[in-house]
Amino acid sequence: MLALARTNGARSIAVVGTSKNAGKTVAVAALADALARRGEPFGICSIGRDGEAVDAVDASPKPRLFLRPGAMVATGARLIPRSPALEITALTELPSALGPIVLAHVRAPGYVEISGPPSAHALRHAARLLASDGRLVLIDGAVDRIAALAAGEDAIVVAVGASGMATPARALDEVEGLVARLRLAPLDPERPAVRIEGALTASAAWGYARAEERRQIVVRDPTRVAFGGRAFLELAARIDVRCEQPLCVVACTVAPASSELTFEPRAFARAVAERTGLPAFDVYAGSVAEPSAA
Amino acid sequence: MTTAIDARTAFTEPAGEAIGATWLLAAIAPGGALGRAASERGTRRFLRGDEAAARTAIERVDALAREVDAARLAALRATIAGAPDITPVLARASAGAALGDVDFFEIGRFLGALAEVAEPVSGWFAGVAGPFYGTLQTALSPGRSATGGFYLAGAFDPELANARAEVNARQAAYDVARNGLLERIARYAGADSVRDGEFVLMRDRALGPLPPEIRVVRESPAYLLCDVSLDDAALGALAARDAASARVAECEESVRARLSEAVAAASSSLAFACEALGDFDVLAARAQFAQRYRCVVPQIAEAAPIAFADARFLPLEETLGRHGRRYAPISLELEGVGVVTGPNMGGKTAALRTLGFLAVCASVGVPVPAASARLPLFDEIAWLGIAARVGDDEGLLSSFGSEVVALRDFLSRDLARPLVLIDEFARTTSPREGRALLVAVLEALHERGALALAATHLANVAPGGAAHFAIGGLHALPPRAGAPLDLEAALRRIGRAMDYRLHRVASDAAPPADAIALADALGLDPTLIARALGEIHRSATEEET
Repeated sequence: MLALARTNGARSIAVVGTSKNAGKTVAVAALADALARRGEPFGICSIGRDGEAVDAVDASPKPRLFLRPGAMVATGARLIPRSPALEITALTELPSALGPIVLAHVRAPGYVEISGPPSAHALRHAARLLASDGRLVLIDGAVDRIAALAAGEDAIVVAVGASGMATPARALDEVEGLVARLRLAPLDPERPAVRIEGALTASAAWGYARAEERRQIVVRDPTRVAFGGRAFLELAARIDVRCEQPLCVVACTVAPASSELTFEPRAFARAVAERTGLPAFDVYAGSVAEPSAA
Repeated sequence: MTTAIDARTAFTEPAGEAIGATWLLAAIAPGGALGRAASERGTRRFLRGDEAAARTAIERVDALAREVDAARLAALRATIAGAPDITPVLARASAGAALGDVDFFEIGRFLGALAEVAEPVSGWFAGVAGPFYGTLQTALSPGRSATGGFYLAGAFDPELANARAEVNARQAAYDVARNGLLERIARYAGADSVRDGEFVLMRDRALGPLPPEIRVVRESPAYLLCDVSLDDAALGALAARDAASARVAECEESVRARLSEAVAAASSSLAFACEALGDFDVLAARAQFAQRYRCVVPQIAEAAPIAFADARFLPLEETLGRHGRRYAPISLELEGVGVVTGPNMGGKTAALRTLGFLAVCASVGVPVPAASARLPLFDEIAWLGIAARVGDDEGLLSSFGSEVVALRDFLSRDLARPLVLIDEFARTTSPREGRALLVAVLEALHERGALALAATHLANVAPGGAAHFAIGGLHALPPRAGAPLDLEAALRRIGRAMDYRLHRVASDAAPPADAIALADALGLDPTLIARALGEIHRSATEEET
């Protein structure tokens, strides 16, 4: 994943998920671990509360972020651990539910909770502060909080897991829909287009589909498409949705095991790779499934 | 329905807007949290009787504006704006709370800002940098990093340094033990490596019975979700690491407690320093205002007259500047009641506003934008006439109704020394009755001894003893002759042709009549202009006959 991000010249890697507990934080932790092993400085921030032992919403166990020296974090002031102490480098004016966002260097190995600012704009600001000395920034996203993704800056990783999905087929539909939505093709300047100010809603898209609109339907960037999953796939087959600022989606991760059910890992990873056309990393198994060349 | 008075400034709402009080308060607003806190503690407004205090306040602003040049003042203000308000931290420290690292970081930033501001202008910070400053700086200095950060470094306490060295060694030992287990698991699974944490082991890759270092978390027909099961050696290393970590935590809290005590001991001095930095931010904002707008210290008088030379109404001057035009300064001397007449766009309202703006500058304690000024202080600055809306009247009152209710409310306050600015009072009713009302109002104000200035197009409204000022008016504005209109160019052309100066004239001098020439200059259809001139000629002929 790091190599894919670097190939695309990304300054940050944002991990977004198809659902809660899709394995976003596990993917971020794996990336952090890889960067730490290589001795490369990096930063971590989050759009939601992450890194805590127990999910703040459904009280299920959450993976924690064990960070070693070299990492830098942006997190709410009230989450700064008493021990081991961090080096505080800035107290920003960016708000979060757990106090203003603090930038801090990890000076000793330990667990850190990451809580990000609530708005996409503030998250981008935090990410840019972390990246100010050229370090790669890992952004732990949240389900359906893709507005913070930035064209030209992020390499995007889409996490899909068994959690919250009744069947593998449902999970595959969701990940295919999300990836297709995030990988909207760029506007073809040679062809007629309808530009959408703000977000393209499902009802507006259905209106274009019913009117058999043949022009390109153009949004600023893929985060401006306000619907996903199967609905997006159905509509994308009927209308030509494009964007002015494409995003760079580089990979998927799979979390085939959840507390409710498990999918067969290799088959699930292969299916995700085939449906999305992206390499699918199974962090748990330490393997990757590549899409077929076709 | 009554007129709303701003409790903080004691201006009526229309006066606050019309005379630029709102603009002024924004222009002199402090930039940082400390300055805002100082403002909230109380920005004084000087009323009649406060002359000595007003003089002192204005002279203090002027002294700072003279002592510190603009670039340095801006730099000092930027430093204060970036300084944190540490009063909540001080309150917690005083209550005996153990502060956190973010608190020490903020105190460090505050002390840095205090030094940066107070040292170069130490005369303005008498009594601020006491012995606490050096003591606290010394106490916190081991934690200051080269980039201005704060870390509970080992230099604070040798025991902390030793405990950290110990935990590093124990962590390394535990890493070796755990990595050894992971390597054995990887060999068993036939993989290069396995994840440190939960990992998947495919059943078809498992080579024989599971080794003891693998703990199964969940099973499925195809794979096992596993975690590392620590052996005795790894468990021993982990326990030693955790014990060393606990010792580090203990040492860190001990250092924090010591630093918190140092902060608590200095908290009253630090609180005083917070207030001093905030007060200086307020003062520096005003000094910057005085520098930027070339203001002077007015003579604060105990009584009328009010007099100023080359005064400017800054909000309008700024607007004109953005359009490449210049503001024509105004000079005036007024004792009692006065009337201003003049053509449209000649500056009657600007004259009222300029007078009001200077008065409000004096009342908030800042130098005034003029070449010279003599100003008394007032109980209230009232704006009557146009724009004198009455609170939220929900549209129930007409323009005339609003003006009358605002006037009624003002007169009912029966103030000893108000400044009353009246802009075309009753212009929306019949000229005959409007003039009668205005004359009555001016006579009443004259009898009360008020200082009042009224702008009007009506003739013969100045009561006996009242001053009559006339705007110079238009000179040499040739007919436009139907040329296409460029509004900006037209305004510049009118500006060049207009004499905005105020001249004292006879009380019964007729107001100038330039409205049709101005309408022509502003691009009204030439046929309408011709008709209007014809109508003027016809009515003049009728009057003659």
